[in-house]
Order: sequence, then C-alpha cells, then structure tokens
Amino acid sequence: MSNTDVIAATATASGRGGIGVVRVSGGGLADFAFALLGKAPKPRVATLSNFLAADGNTIDQGVALFFPAPHSYTGEDVLELQGHGGDAVLRMVLGRCLELGARPAEPGEFTKRAFLNNKMDLAQAESVADLIDAATTEAAKSAMRSLRGEFSGAIHLLVESLINLRMLVEATLDFPEEEVDFIAEANAFGQLAAIRAQLGEVFRQARQGSLLREGAHVALIGQPNVGKSSLLNQLAGEEVAIVTPVAGTTRDAIRQHIEIEGVPLHFIDTAGLRETEDEVEKIGIARAWCAIRQANVALLLVDATQGVAPADLEIIAALPPGLPLLRVFNKIDLLEREPGSSGVDGVTDVYLSAKTGAGVDLLHQQLLRMVGWHGGGEGAFMARARHLKALGEAEGRLVLAEACKGRIELFAEELRLAQLALSSITGEFTADDLLGEIFSRFCIGK
Amino acid sequence: MLYPTLFDVIVIGGGHAGAEAALASARMGMKTLLLTHNIETLGQMSCNPSIGGIGKGHLVKEVDALGGAMAAATDEAGIQFRILNSSKGPAVRATRAQADRVLYRQAIRGRLENQPNLWLFQQAVDDLLLEQNRVVGVVTQLGLRFRASTVVLTAGTFLAGLVHVGLSNYKAGRAGDPPSITLAHRLRELALPVKRFKTGTPPRIDGRTLDYSVMEEQPGDNPAPAFSFLGDPSLHPRQLPCWITHTNQRTHEIIRGGLDRSPLYTGVIAGVGPRYCPSIEDKITRFSSKDSHQIFVEPEGLGTHEIYPNGISTSLPFDVQVDLVRSIRGFESAHITRPGYAIEYDYFDPVGLKHSLETKAIQGLFFAGQINGTTGYEEAAAQGLLAGINAARAAQGKDAWYPARDQAYIGVMVDDLITRGVVEPYRMFTSRAEYRLLLREDNADLRLTEEGRGLGVIDDKRWRHFEAKREAIAAEQERLKSTWVNPRLLPQKEAERVLGKNIEHEYSLLDLLRRPDVDYQNLMTLPGVGPGVSNAEVSEQVEIQAKYQGYISRQLEEIARHQHYETMALPSDLDYREVHGLSIEGQHKLNQHKPETLGQAARISGVTPAAISVLLVHLKRAEQDIKTTSNKKSA
Ligand SMILES: Nc1nc2c(ncn2[C@@H]2O[C@H](COP(=O)(O)OP(=O)(O)OP(=O)(O)O)[C@@H](O)[C@H]2O)c(=O)[nH]1
Ligand SMILES: [Mg+2]
Repeated sequence: MSNTDVIAATATASGRGGIGVVRVSGGGLADFAFALLGKAPKPRVATLSNFLAADGNTIDQGVALFFPAPHSYTGEDVLELQGHGGDAVLRMVLGRCLELGARPAEPGEFTKRAFLNNKMDLAQAESVADLIDAATTEAAKSAMRSLRGEFSGAIHLLVESLINLRMLVEATLDFPEEEVDFIAEANAFGQLAAIRAQLGEVFRQARQGSLLREGAHVALIGQPNVGKSSLLNQLAGEEVAIVTPVAGTTRDAIRQHIEIEGVPLHFIDTAGLRETEDEVEKIGIARAWCAIRQANVALLLVDATQGVAPADLEIIAALPPGLPLLRVFNKIDLLEREPGSSGVDGVTDVYLSAKTGAGVDLLHQQLLRMVGWHGGGEGAFMARARHLKALGEAEGRLVLAEACKGRIELFAEELRLAQLALSSITGEFTADDLLGEIFSRFCIGK
Repeated sequence: MLYPTLFDVIVIGGGHAGAEAALASARMGMKTLLLTHNIETLGQMSCNPSIGGIGKGHLVKEVDALGGAMAAATDEAGIQFRILNSSKGPAVRATRAQADRVLYRQAIRGRLENQPNLWLFQQAVDDLLLEQNRVVGVVTQLGLRFRASTVVLTAGTFLAGLVHVGLSNYKAGRAGDPPSITLAHRLRELALPVKRFKTGTPPRIDGRTLDYSVMEEQPGDNPAPAFSFLGDPSLHPRQLPCWITHTNQRTHEIIRGGLDRSPLYTGVIAGVGPRYCPSIEDKITRFSSKDSHQIFVEPEGLGTHEIYPNGISTSLPFDVQVDLVRSIRGFESAHITRPGYAIEYDYFDPVGLKHSLETKAIQGLFFAGQINGTTGYEEAAAQGLLAGINAARAAQGKDAWYPARDQAYIGVMVDDLITRGVVEPYRMFTSRAEYRLLLREDNADLRLTEEGRGLGVIDDKRWRHFEAKREAIAAEQERLKSTWVNPRLLPQKEAERVLGKNIEHEYSLLDLLRRPDVDYQNLMTLPGVGPGVSNAEVSEQVEIQAKYQGYISRQLEEIARHQHYETMALPSDLDYREVHGLSIEGQHKLNQHKPETLGQAARISGVTPAAISVLLVHLKRAEQDIKTTSNKKSA
C-alpha cells in the first residue's frame, strides 16, 4: 500500500467551530511537506511552522504534525496542518495542498484507508463515521471513547469469557473419555451467569450511546386546546407552533428537534384528537396517529382544569400497546396549583404550566428517564443500531442457553450463536449484511 | 519395462486411505491398480486397535454412507462396541469399536481382492512418471512403469519415516515396515511443500502377565450397535471387555528420571506432535500437577494375548519403558512384547491441495491420508474415499466433487486442511463443525447416499436398503402429522403417563413428539396410536428430526446466508499482489492459498474482514470491467 495517491481534506467540518485542520495522507509525503513548510518536519513532534504558497509567501502560520507510515492514523504518511485563520484561510491551505499534487479526499476516505491498512477493526471504523456526523457534543465525547477501542475492548472481553466457557462445553462433548467433568469442575453454569451480567452492562452502555446518537421520538398528543403547541413552544424556547384559543388550531404535525441534557429528542406536535367533519382536520388527526405509531414516548396533555375526561381515556385505549405514556396536566396556573410529578402503577404524571414554564424542568427529568437515559455520557458506548441488534441477539442466545443447560449439545449451540452475534460487531466473522452497511457508509469500491 | 495394461487410476499405498480410494475408484467402474509394498499388510491398523470415537465415528458413518469399507469391516472385526456421549444428544453421539487387527486386515483384504475392476500388485513405488506438470504413471522399485490417467498417493507415515526409541533411531515405516525413502526424495524434488510431524505408540504388552483383578472393567454396550448402515450385530465376532488402570507418582518419577535420554526433550525429534494425543512424558511434564493418568488396556484381538495400553505412548529408552510399565497397578510383572516408539515422517502442506485433494502443482496427482498432515484411520479413510472418487472423475473427464461444510464432516475436514493448513496432526472433533447439529452419525446416509448413488459408488443393494429406509421415515412422519389426539378421548391417566399432563386441545402426534420429555416408543403406547414403526433406525430418525426441527431449520437458514460467499468464485490465476488495497500480509496469504471461493478466503487465518471487503470490491470491479467490455463489443 505504498503507492497510493495523496489525498487532502479539512478535518473539522465548517461552521462547527474548533480549530481547522487540513489533513493529508498518501505514500511518501516528505517532499510534499518540505515544499509546504520550507523545512523537513520532525516525525510526531508538533512544530510551529509557516504554511507557504507557491511564491514562498506565508499563507498562514500554525502547527504542523508529521506521522510517517506505518505509525499513523491511515497507516500511510500523514501530515496534519492546524491553522489559526478561519474558513477562508483554511481553504487556501487546502488549495495549496491540491496544487502540490493532492486530490480532495472523498467522504470517509481517510477512515477507509485506515481500515484497509488494518489500523482499526469494523467497530472502530464505524465510530469514526459516527464522529464525523455526531450532532451533539455529548455524542462526540462518546464517539471518542469508542474510537479508542473501549467498546471493542468491552466486546472483546465478553467474547473472551464466552470462548472460555465454550471451551469447557466443547471439551465435555469432544472428550467424554477424560476423567474430568469439565462443566462441573469449572463451574460452567456460574460462568454463564457472569457472562450474562457482563453482557447486560455492555448492553446498557451501548443503549446509552445509541440514545445519544439517534435520540428518541416524543409525540405531543391530546384533545384540542389542551396546550400541546404551547408546551412545544415552551420546550423549544421559541414560537415554532401557532397557538390560539381556537380548538383545532394545529393541523399539520410540527416537528422540532430539542436537546435535553445533550440527548437529542425529536418532538412532534400533533392535531388535537377528536371526532370531526372538517376534511383538513381529519387528515391532521390521521397524521397524528401516524406520529404516535413512530414515537418512543407519548406525552398525553390533559387540561388540568378539566381533569381526565372520557375522551382522554379513549385516546389512551387506542395507543399502541407497550408505548410508554406520560400524562401532562397543563394549565396549573389557572388552578394556582404547585408544579409536581408522580409515578404510580407505571403511570407518570407531571403537573405544569406551558404558559409560565412552571414544572417544565420536572417534565425534562421524567422524559429523560422514560427514554432510558441514565445521565452523563461517561459510561456510554457509541453503539449503532446494528450493535444493539447483535448485543440483543447474543443476550437472547444466552437466555436460551440458560434454558437448555441439561441438553448439553444445544447449550453448546446457543453459546456458539451468542459468540457469532458478538463477533459480528468487531468484524471477526464478517457477514454479508455487515459489509453491505460498510460499503454504503464509506466510499469503498466505487 | 512398461506394464502392458493401461490403468485409469493408480492408488499407491494399501492403508486405510489407499483401500478406500482404490475401492471407490473401482466401484465407479475405473480400471484401478492398487500398489502396495506388502499385500500382507493391506488394511493394517498400525497404531491403536480401535475405530471411531467422537468426530471419527461420524467420518466412518459418512464413508459407509458413500459405500466405503471401514464400517462394514469393523462390524466383522470389532471385539467391543460402544456408543459414546449417548446422554449428551444425537449430534455428539458417536460409535467406537475395538477391532481385532487380524480380522480387520482380513475384512479389508477380502473386499479389495473381490472388488471388480481392481488389481493388486506388490511393489514399492520409487518415482512418478510426469509429462510437464501432469502425472501419467508411476515407476516401481524394479523399474516397472505403470501408466494411468490419475494417481492417488496414500503413503501414510512411510515417507522418510524415522523411528525413535530413546536416543537411538533408525529409518522405518510403521510397525516394522520399510520406509519409502526414494519416493520421499523424489517428491521433495518436485517442489511440493514438505514438512515433518511426529507421532508415537506405547509399548505392547503380553496380556498374560497382567493382573486384571486390580483394574476396572469397561464392558462394551449390550446390545452392541452395528457400525455400518447395512451392518448387523450378528456379524460381530466374540466380544471382549477393556480395562482401565492408572499411572501413579512413582511412574512419573521414573519418567522424569529418564527425560535426559528422551529424544523429545533432548531436541532429537524436530517434528511436531499432536497436542491432544501426547506421549506420557509430555503429559507429566506439561501437566505436572496431575498425579495420575488414565490408561485404557485394550485387547489387540481374539487370537493374540497382546494388549495395547492406550495412554502411555512413549519414545523413552527401553529400560525406562520397562520400569515405567511395571510401576503401573496391575502391570507389576508385565512383559513388553514390542517397545514403544515415536516416528517422524514427511507430510505435505495440504494448503497445496484443491478441495478434490488433487495437488495444485501436479495435475492428476491426488494426496490422501496421513501425508496431508492428518492423523487417524478414519480421517485417512475419508480422504481416501474422496480422493478415489475424484481421481476416477478426473479420469472420466468430469468435474471434481466434494461435500460442503454443512453436508459432511468430510467436507469440514477437507476445507479445514486446504484452507487453514495444519500446525499439528489434524484430528476430527465435532467442535470443528459449525453445523454440528446437522452432521450426525444417525443421518450420514440421508446426507450422502443419494449423492453417492449419482457418483456411482453406491451399489444396488445399499441403494435399495437406503430407499426403503427413507420411504419408511417419510411415511411415518406423514402418519404422525395427520394423526390427531383429542383431549376428550384421551383418559387422564394415559395422558399423564405418556405426556406428563393433560393436553388442553387437539394435537397431532408429531406436535406431541416435539416435546422434549415425550419419547417415541412411549407415545406409541397411547390408545389408538400404536404400534408405530418397528425399525429402530426409522423411529430414531423420525424422533430426532421432530425434536430438533427448530435447531435444524435455524442452521439451514444460517447456511443459506453464507451460501453467497461460498458460491463467489475467485479466479485461480488471480495475482493478489495486483489487488488494489490489500495489505502485504493479505496478499501473501492469499497468493499462498489461492482460495477457490470468497467463503474459503474468509476462513484463511490472517485474511482480515478488510481484505474480504477489498476482494469483494475487486470482484465487483472485475465484473463491471467484463460488462463494459462486452457492451462495447456488442455495440
Ligand atoms: N392559562 C393557560 N393557558 C394555556 C396554557 N397552555 C395553553 N393555554 C392556552 O390554551 C389555548 C390552546 O392552546 P394551544 O397550545 O393552541 O392548544 P393545542 O392543544 O395545541 O390546541 P389544538 O392545536 O387546537 O389541538 C391557548 O389559548 C393557550 O394560550 C397554560 O398552561 N395556562
Ligand atoms: Mg396546537
């Protein structure tokens, strides 16, 4: 892989702040670096340097970092130029690199090269993609952790324990004439319990990471005029929806992306649910139900001055089974009631005023709890939906394994499949689907 | 002299691989010559006198399902039969037999002598006749030249064999036979990748000098099972028990005291031995905390007093062997009839083979058995059968045939060998098979016999037997599916007796049989349900297929998912150095292995998922190139 062409790109996306970096990668960059910097950069040492134009004038001044192959991010020679100037200057530095023979990198091409040079496994490579499009700062933090291989590390540890257990089981099956009962001797079933706990913890952290990346969908529903649009405006901190005293104001569903403690929540304000002859409102109500079916949580607004009406009970009965429900009693300012929240029998109630904002902080807490956020991005792995699926599958296998402890060859089979599921994350036993996803993600083999 | 008869297939070697290869080729109608250096040792069991075991029994059943001789010969020679793992489930259940060496040799020789299209000739082979890179025959010790379309080499441990007892060694094949030195030299000249392994045997003992009263008796199963699908326990000769005793601290001290004269521990032996079948000196050195090791005292046959103490294979000097043997309980006054020894031998890196077991280097030359780095009679027989079939097919101008990994242990073994190579003598284990639940002993015939019929290795008798069994299974499955048990017509006592509890609604018999705790014979005793089928093989098959249906269909789904890669062919002339984006290691490994499919490439160690995606890209690109060129042409 020494004769690859030179690619260059700015490494921080424009408009997101931070230091602008131009990154260059390719085979044999020493001459390239000399032409650009006017001196030979020391490997792996940050040096203050001028970035020179073709005529020898300085374009910008900044830090140059040179990583000779193979000890670099991509496994090739890599040159990183951290400039001080803004976007315009950054573009000039990049332009100079292109003049010197580099071509603009395709999206994800650095990662692709790193991947092809065995610099990272699949989980790590995918984290890089996550890093590229991580929308929130929390997500960026979590993506970093996973990039350092912590997620892979945790999975590897799990797989190791599993391999250890499988070893015992397989030994029992393949060596029946040995005097040792491998399974009893090493407390194999105790090991299974430990692995299940271990997997549960990774799963929990992975769910957190996935929540940070993907967020959750919250539907604001209820009868007309209960204050759904008002609440949306209050949560968003701006007037995104029209509010009037007229029942049936909202027709088209209104979507708003709101971050609460760094967790991206996708709110959708819907038309008030009621029997109506109005053609437009009918369509709005149909859309509301559509939004409800896609939601992770339903926020049912109730006018606190009216209390829970039969119409509200009808709505509750029509909700998809299993959809978590939060009841919001709005307009407490009219009752001069204090904000509050309670959770009884799995039903969570919040008392607030969309108008004054009293009690909205309580709603925040209850919402985060309901989408499964355990606070702080610290323990979160940047897991993708596919990882969660694999972890879930592995977990399911281990449950089945538990159930057939007495039938040892089936026990062995479930363990094998659990391992298969896990290793599909780190890419050790690649499956076709996985590659399909990677190919759609990175510009490999166009 | 050029021998006047022109053969289709020549098989070199009359061991377990050679016998099956020659028989298969001859069954397929090919004029076949079996060359052996000694007709008296055809079918010789040179190591322990037993056939089968976990994984190995599976291979034997598959060889049998393809018309091979090993299981049938064992039925005629077996002096003890046992089903191992019988409580652990049908997939890992396996048959194992002790065999009388003499009877086994007779059974094999009889089959070879009576097989139409098969000629035997006693003469050591010294050289291969080559035309360019294609084999056209062989040359024997006397300079006789035999010509054939294809040649199967099954030289076992005879290639450059070197026997060690203590620090002295001499050139030999197994069990006192001469080694094939000239041929080994010749093969080395042909630039085939040669490496060296070692294996060993224990000293043999005169059974009359043993005290069995202090040993634990290990009887065979009663009734004894038959090994062959066509077999019958009535074919078995008189049955004998085995015995179990143990080494002790004193044995271990004696061994430690002799290590300075051990060829293993003084570096005289360079070849790699199997980790799962270590010599006794290896065991006590590597597992020094264990103060006792098990020894199976196995009779060598009905007509001899010799016994085989399985578990104390050794190459220690003879004086140490005498002391260590006599330190064992029951062996205090044992007389050794033959010293134990280690043997080093040449094998060829199987990475140089195709799935058909044809060498990539020399067209028409097939390798089977221990020369491919495997160990065991069963592994040898299975390869011999496959090589024989493919040598015959090549002689007929037909494509290679081999079973897939999901179809047979034979497929698993061959794929493992040629894809991963070997780092120690290769032995079959059930854990090597990812589709273990499908690859059972009990369904080996259902997996392979029909295909064997198409290949021409299944005779009419076996075919009729198989068809009858298959039809009986289908008929009984149909009956169980369409017979319903009505809860109102079922007395509660009967339901509790057979099903454990009352049923809440109507069930078919097949549904009831799926329940883990309902057994077929018992189910047949429900009023109005029986009598069921009397053939135990049929009812067993019906029961297993019902109970394992969920697992079986899931494995079938898994197979279907992988099928895609397995069918993506990689060109054999592809130079991986030219594949853009492959790491140096990847290029090297792939050029070394030249995998036949992408699936096989993915199984090569050192070939990363990244490399596979690069290959996918490469294949896709090549495909597009072909498309665009052909479009241009047609435009
Ligand atoms: N006093 C008081 N009035 C509120 C509160 N929330 C909403 N309102 C009023 O209730 C009326 C309806 O509010 P909206 O937010 O439009 O209600 P909605 O549920 O979106 O109604 P539709 O879109 O018609 O279904 C408006 O006049 C709001 O000003 C509140 O917390 N206190
Ligand atoms: Mg509204």
